[in-house]
Amino acid sequence: MLIDTAQASAQQTADAPAVRVEGVSKSFAGSVALEPISMRIERGEFLTLLGPSGCGKTTLLNLIAGFLEADQGELYIHDKPVTRVPPYQREIGIVFQNYALFPHMSVARNVGYGLRTRGVPKAEAERRVREALALVKLEDFADRRPRQLSGGQQQRVALARALVIRPRVLLLDEPFSALDRNLRAAMQVELREIQTSLGLTTVFVTHDQGEALSMSDRIAVMSRATIRQIGTPSEIYDHPQNHFVASFVGDANMFRATLLEAEGSDARLKLGETEARITSFQTDLPAPGPVTLFVRPEHCHLAEPGTPGTIPATVALSVYQGSHTELHVDCPLAEGGRAMLRVPSRTSVAPGEPLAIGLAESGAAVFGAED
Amino acid sequence: MTKRPFLGWFASPSILIAFGITASVLAIVQYSLRAHVPGSIDPGGFTLANFATLWHVAYGLVFLNSLLLCIWTALFALLIGYPLAYAMVRARSLSLRSAILLISLTPLFLGEIVRTYSWMIVLGNRGFLNSVLLQTGLIERPINLMFTMSGVVIALVHFTLPIVVVMLAAALSHIDRNLERAATSLGAGRIRVFLTVTLPLSIPGVVAATSTAFAWTFSAFATPQMIGGGQVQTISTMVYQVGFASFNFPLAASLSLMGLLFAVAVLAIFNTGMRQLERHGAH
Repeated sequence: MLIDTAQASAQQTADAPAVRVEGVSKSFAGSVALEPISMRIERGEFLTLLGPSGCGKTTLLNLIAGFLEADQGELYIHDKPVTRVPPYQREIGIVFQNYALFPHMSVARNVGYGLRTRGVPKAEAERRVREALALVKLEDFADRRPRQLSGGQQQRVALARALVIRPRVLLLDEPFSALDRNLRAAMQVELREIQTSLGLTTVFVTHDQGEALSMSDRIAVMSRATIRQIGTPSEIYDHPQNHFVASFVGDANMFRATLLEAEGSDARLKLGETEARITSFQTDLPAPGPVTLFVRPEHCHLAEPGTPGTIPATVALSVYQGSHTELHVDCPLAEGGRAMLRVPSRTSVAPGEPLAIGLAESGAAVFGAED
Repeated sequence: MTKRPFLGWFASPSILIAFGITASVLAIVQYSLRAHVPGSIDPGGFTLANFATLWHVAYGLVFLNSLLLCIWTALFALLIGYPLAYAMVRARSLSLRSAILLISLTPLFLGEIVRTYSWMIVLGNRGFLNSVLLQTGLIERPINLMFTMSGVVIALVHFTLPIVVVMLAAALSHIDRNLERAATSLGAGRIRVFLTVTLPLSIPGVVAATSTAFAWTFSAFATPQMIGGGQVQTISTMVYQVGFASFNFPLAASLSLMGLLFAVAVLAIFNTGMRQLERHGAH
């Protein structure tokens, strides 16, 4: 009976999300750093907080880590409220942007720091440090000082130091921004492999949308102190829910249009002189009136100038990309006066040549002014 | 080679100063090697007799006394200055930070004589400190602070505190806060973070501040002269006494020269020791 209850409660705890954020908000000296936010991070999930600087992603990370205290709301880790638990009792591993390795300690001392604070017996601590260093392939560097290591190696040490304490959640604060491109790609793969093999719940902060798309299970896109959309990379890329997400993630063409009528997902739009019909991926279309039409370049094609339902433009620049060519076009209807098309490399178009942008039947969306 | 068009202009004042210092040190060296002619302020012929005179227990005790004074002053300046510097660097409110900075810097704004006289008023047997302690019943008889080592140390700690606070604050502010955060996230409480991260990383600042406090104390004259009142002899008060009471300039010159060498030697030993500690202590 006792065992049953224990198992049941263990089961319950195991089902609970790794992190639950309920209405957590934060302001600094009157300016809002984070609007009340609620979200769940499942166990073993790789969740990315993506957004431009000042969007609140680092504030949210610091709230989860416990470096900041929430103004309102409650934060749960493994179903236990931790809002008022100090960071050193939260069992969280963090990799900082600058790695924050202790310069006065050897690599092994750095990695073993969290074990010494926990009073892990020496022999076991040494074994776990060795294992952690093996995991990041730095067994031979135990006696070095951090400054004797390259940037990539320092990052591995920082990762080993965070992993060795078997954290309940791993927080990564823009860990790749100081690495050069090739090393960054290699470290991303390696990190993802380690994370998956350990089944480690991970919260990753970045402003790099490519990084977010390639690494995450889910992405929370943030701007202006709030989460604008949360979903899998393909949901975010293919079905952005608002203007900000659509333009921040991936390449987007945005055209000024007037929504004439909408029925379900079908919309009739006035585009300058012409009219077009599109099928949006949205279930809720805004009210008729001025809107923004969103189409990814891959859902646009070249059309004969003057074809009804197309958007007139002139070629400004053609950029050869190997497998395809990017056509940057001047387009009066486009936001910022520019749009972009991807065409097969054989297509020959000269700057100044008039053309028209045709829209695919799907893959478009219309955003109202408030989005 | 990059062109540095203003290098000459920027370097020239320092060359002037270096020239001035070298010239005066050479003059002292020259004086120290001349014989003393009693009743005359002009020195006699070349001799090593002055240094032989210094080889005496009385002078040895003065050197030892100076060293003790420096050690006590540097130690207390460090013990008081470190928490002040830490509070100054870490305080959230700007006004608190400015207040700490301003209060720690005031000794620099007072002239040496004014500052020392103020301390004489505070430290005297019927002075401020003793009156307060007597009034509150904490002591029954006045504590002797004037003309004692303790009184001189108190006044010199006040004198060296600004430079100690500023140097420690500079060192502390250069410590990356993420290092402390990392330690915290790894399970270290405040005290542990301080002892294992903040303190070890501030050691270079501690060494610099202690050395400077040491050197300032070593060269201090008015404070030991006035508060010590002849009861606390240091190398500088001794130089004054030999030079301007006995008018034995050659002996005063050799005494100051030996004092200088002594200070340099002590600082060199201290710095080497601390560097060894830094290298081996943190493993």
